[in-house]
Amino acid sequence: MIRLADVHVTFNRGTPMETRALRGINLHVPKGEFLTVIGSNGAGKSTCLNVIAGLCRAEAGSVTVDGRDMTGWPVHRRARHLSRVFQDPKMGTCEDLTILENFALAHARTRPRGLRLALTRAMREDAADRLRLLGLGLEDRLGDKVGLLSGGQRQAVSLLMATTGETKVLLLDEHTAALDPKTGEFVLDLTKSLVRDLGLTAVMVTHSMVQALHTGERTIMFHRGRIVFDAKGPERDRMQVADLLALFKREQGEELADDSLLLD
Amino acid sequence: MSLYELFGSLETGFIFGIVALGAYLTFQILDFPDLTVEGSFPLGAAVAAVLIVSAGLNPWLATFAAGLAGFVAGFITAYLNVRFKILHILAGILVAISLYSINLRIMGGPNKPLLGVDTVFTAFEGLGVRSYIVSPIFLGVFALCLKLALDLLLATGVGISMRAAGVNPAMAEANGVNVGNMKLLGVGLANFLTAIAGALFAQVFGAADAYMGIGVIIVGLASVIVGMSILPSRTIFLATIACIAGAILYRLAVAAALNAGFIGLHASDVQLVTAVLVAIALIAQHSGLPFLRLRRKGGDK
Repeated sequence: MIRLADVHVTFNRGTPMETRALRGINLHVPKGEFLTVIGSNGAGKSTCLNVIAGLCRAEAGSVTVDGRDMTGWPVHRRARHLSRVFQDPKMGTCEDLTILENFALAHARTRPRGLRLALTRAMREDAADRLRLLGLGLEDRLGDKVGLLSGGQRQAVSLLMATTGETKVLLLDEHTAALDPKTGEFVLDLTKSLVRDLGLTAVMVTHSMVQALHTGERTIMFHRGRIVFDAKGPERDRMQVADLLALFKREQGEELADDSLLLD
Repeated sequence: MSLYELFGSLETGFIFGIVALGAYLTFQILDFPDLTVEGSFPLGAAVAAVLIVSAGLNPWLATFAAGLAGFVAGFITAYLNVRFKILHILAGILVAISLYSINLRIMGGPNKPLLGVDTVFTAFEGLGVRSYIVSPIFLGVFALCLKLALDLLLATGVGISMRAAGVNPAMAEANGVNVGNMKLLGVGLANFLTAIAGALFAQVFGAADAYMGIGVIIVGLASVIVGMSILPSRTIFLATIACIAGAILYRLAVAAALNAGFIGLHASDVQLVTAVLVAIALIAQHSGLPFLRLRRKGGDK
């Protein structure tokens, strides 16, 4: 479903700040796979996600999603085929628009409505049905501006919006990191059930090793712009955080600077 | 203030209410401070005047053509910003400055009188009502029609995309909105409205003038700020009403200031009065006087 072929990204090329964020990434995420991505700050995990979403252009290599070469596509064009949930709950929804209007916008992602009225009865009922699953009572607040919701509520709404319509690929960028632990868990459980029920191909970037190992079915680790570790199946099921650290040390011959990674 | 002055304030108030709708679209909805209007207001006047006087065109068609000319001006400003990354304010100034020369060329001189020709107001003559009463009513209906059209547009798929593009461009893009195209369309439409207002202004006052654009942006913005400070603006429907009402209140405030003989102000002081009124409104917002505070984006509770 998602295929990165020899992707290179360099920031601030030709300056003393030059950073080789991605150094030849090859990655294939088959249809229906839930991949988790881990790595310390600056390892390249977010850049990798941004290359898929189009926020960051690959200077070499190619990005293919659902059989389409999207390497040169702008963000809004890629959005027809993949959806995103941001780390900041404020980013995923539009605070000046009502809950229903946000849903309408998300619906238009795969089916633009042009000059037809954005809000329809069918859309209202669909949005209410989906919001009811959250059990937060938001189905009765369709006319409220999203700016009135809490961070957790907004992130839950973002997730529903990102999985509306004909979405096949879901990109999650540390989407529980800004939430308190309880709310984060709620959003993560929601993520798992949505991905499973809708049969989505998903990529989740996270700072938490435990979250990475216990979510989805495959985990990769980035370090200095390369994928240093790729585990799935029984090998991954048996894996603990300590194993991950040991593996990293063996592969790289250095201790993992784990100050930015959550071990628990 | 005499009744005559009151109707005069309503007349210009409704015209600038249309400018305010444009300012609302750019400043509030798109978060694109657009200064093109300083040029597109006289552009609308010039195009309409020349088409009516020199080409003998139907005044309604001439007014619509003026709007299209305004759209092109706004489109160019947005294009300079979107395509070439020129700062939005600077792009607007560049287009407005160039329009000054273009307007002189269109009119073949610094002004174009509209005397003894049919205007959009001619149709309402002979109804037995005095023109100083008819024209504010006509302009009021016209401004409300444009307001409703804008409300409707902002409720469509394109409208919602435009609103999202202004508030949260990253989110809009992630939902498939081409943010650049929304700016081109929105700034174009805002200047369409402004040029229509300019065309009506010229027809009401009997002439198009190359200098009539000075301060239009501040008047439009002042109307939005005044209106949204004192009237509810939770929904688009209410906000656009507030824009038009703000324009009228603002005109009344200016008329009152100029009328208060003891202050010693003259008609030529109108720009100074404008600037002071806008500054007061902005300071009041900032200092948090509750009755003047512009509602924080999305924070209406």
